[in-house]
Amino acid sequence: MRVKWILRSVIYFVMLSLLTSCWNSRELGELGIVSGFGIDKGPNKDEYRVTFQVVNPSATATSTGASKNHPPVTIYSSTDTTVFGALRKTSKKAARQLFFAHTQLVVIGESLARSGINDIFDVFERSHELRLNSLVLVSRDADAASILKVILPIESLPAMGIVKKNKNTAGVWGENRDVNIFELINGITGESDFVISGVRINGDEQEGMKLSNLDQTEVKALVVMSGLGVFKDGKLVDWMDGPKARGTVWVQDKIKETSINIDYKNKKKSVSVDINLSKTKVKVKIREGIPVFDIHIKEKGIVNETKSFVDLSKGDEILKLEVSLAEQTKKEVTQAVETAQRMQTDIFNFANELKRTNPKAWKSVEKDWPALFAKGKLNVHIDAYIRSTGMRLKPYLKENSK
Amino acid sequence: MRKEVISSYQLFAMIVLFEFGTALVVPIGLESGHAVWVSILMALPGGIILYLIYNYLYLEFPTMNISGYTQKILGKYIGWTLSLLYIPVLLFNGSRNLREAGDLLIAASYDQTPVFIINSMMVIAVMYTLYKGIEVFARSAEIYFFVIILMGLICNFVVIAAGLVDLKNLFPLHSKDWKDALASAYPNILIFPFGELVCFTTIFPHFNKSHKARRAGVMAIVLSGLLLCFTHAIEIAVLGENIYSRSTFPIFTTITLVNLANFIQRLDALVILALVVGVFFKMSIYCYAVMSVTADLFKVREIRNLTLPVGIVVLFSSIVSAESYPVHMDEGKVFLKYILPILCAVIPLLLVIVHYIRKKFGLYR
Repeated sequence: MRVKWILRSVIYFVMLSLLTSCWNSRELGELGIVSGFGIDKGPNKDEYRVTFQVVNPSATATSTGASKNHPPVTIYSSTDTTVFGALRKTSKKAARQLFFAHTQLVVIGESLARSGINDIFDVFERSHELRLNSLVLVSRDADAASILKVILPIESLPAMGIVKKNKNTAGVWGENRDVNIFELINGITGESDFVISGVRINGDEQEGMKLSNLDQTEVKALVVMSGLGVFKDGKLVDWMDGPKARGTVWVQDKIKETSINIDYKNKKKSVSVDINLSKTKVKVKIREGIPVFDIHIKEKGIVNETKSFVDLSKGDEILKLEVSLAEQTKKEVTQAVETAQRMQTDIFNFANELKRTNPKAWKSVEKDWPALFAKGKLNVHIDAYIRSTGMRLKPYLKENSK
Repeated sequence: MRKEVISSYQLFAMIVLFEFGTALVVPIGLESGHAVWVSILMALPGGIILYLIYNYLYLEFPTMNISGYTQKILGKYIGWTLSLLYIPVLLFNGSRNLREAGDLLIAASYDQTPVFIINSMMVIAVMYTLYKGIEVFARSAEIYFFVIILMGLICNFVVIAAGLVDLKNLFPLHSKDWKDALASAYPNILIFPFGELVCFTTIFPHFNKSHKARRAGVMAIVLSGLLLCFTHAIEIAVLGENIYSRSTFPIFTTITLVNLANFIQRLDALVILALVVGVFFKMSIYCYAVMSVTADLFKVREIRNLTLPVGIVVLFSSIVSAESYPVHMDEGKVFLKYILPILCAVIPLLLVIVHYIRKKFGLYR
């Protein structure tokens, strides 16, 4: 009985400590929720300037847009040699402790990107608050801080607006990629190089910071997605735009939907086809010491517009369009690969694919892969299908109309 | 005192929960790279054989636990000394489980809370259940079996539905991968988690239908082995070999990546819950095994009286044993390589051989 009594009293006493329970509690009202994150090169060598876009709760509380008096977010910047150091230094400026679980966007400044970004992502992996699926973008002709400062129409939180913009254009146009930190870390640790979508400011940056930017139908400053940044060994080397960017995304098998203008007879780019299904398969082989890239793309689309007379009620005409579509796709893909070969950057995961399927062959080419990649032969094979012509067969234009 | 009894379904649930304990959460078999899931499958037959060894000994001595028949088979003095070995090893292993759970909780969300507080809360829960007796514990395993399976289904479903799985990370398997997989299956994965079932030798005597223990146990091992294999395969398929091998708790990283329709996200709580439940059962079984062996060796009549000392030793050794998580992992490697195989495989095998010889030549008095 005595043992039981001692046991009980000890257990009860320890249980008493349970009652305090909220050891780790953090009140919502004491958190500064960070919606976006920008990393630039600092003034001194090896220093980062980290910019935080912190949500201003009183301005975003109502669902029907921000109140007129305050901007929806406020910006803090700090410099330090580590990202986390800068993050904690910001406490000097911010009234609330910064909270990162809702951070959706990380912008990297162009100058930092040019000098190398491989070493900045450790904190994102190690921390339990930062999320690996936040979007990463590279600012173009601007620093990351100014991208985060611009207030945008329609979406009250600018960082959210940028994330949605990128998702929107990656989904229906296909010149940009939805690259998150997780994918980037796999890109850095893998054998290939990688790309990150670019973002720029169209218009006057100083005007964009003000609330008055939203007082007009056409805003004076707008953040727009712009091309793909090509990284070699973690350093930004060049930008890819337009068809080249789309060709890159195509080889990477990340096209969800895109619209492509194809030639019909002598009319250049007169038929618009909406590709809504595309699948890319890549095979990498080594033949006589030189890599061979077999790219096989299967795409399906719908004719959405023609500027000239095309008799879409005839199967033969559709077949002609399919040939033209395949040619156009092949052109973009070839252009993209050739551009990358000129830069000697394997942004298409070819090296990883070779290593995965044939580790022995990879061992033999590992040392001078960039040079071999540049010499590699490209075989593109495209199966293009047009499934439908929309609500009409023949267009209203007459055959010989001008 | 009434004898406590366990049904065959309860035994099944306990074995599954015990296997899931920490093996679900920490990366196992790092030597085999992306072929971890193959090595788990390879270790499975070995695990079943080990279980059959424990089961054979139980059927030969249905009322005794491991220390009881060790003394019977090897004689009083050798048997007693060998059995004594089990106490510190099982205690230490139980405390290692506690440490892993505490460290994940701190790394994942309770960054301000001292590890002592978190660990002591878990130990209090374990002590309370064990104080109530093994039968109560078995009944709670019955309930939590469904809870864990349900959570596992939800987690796996959302990870697959979110389109995160990339089978390219699992295939192809080259001849080198097969060799690595075999090397990490034997003895590492064979011992952790399958060999740890040696704890159940102390629970078998409470089992009410001794002839059903074999079937229930083998089924539980096959089920838990397949589910472990599946879960780790998914983790690698999502994370890739590189991140999987570098993360302290890969399942946690996997689940944080889930974002279904911008709506189902941040499911980390499910993983933490699964870990806490799994560790609770694993640690309790370890503690019970220690209590049972101690009671048998030192002739303690009331096994419950050992709850408090065992719980407190586990709590403190979980904190004192390693100053940081990496040190803890290093200790684990040594422990897994040199000490556990002896207790989990060598001694039981020795017992079976000696017992067989003695029985055959009629050497028992």
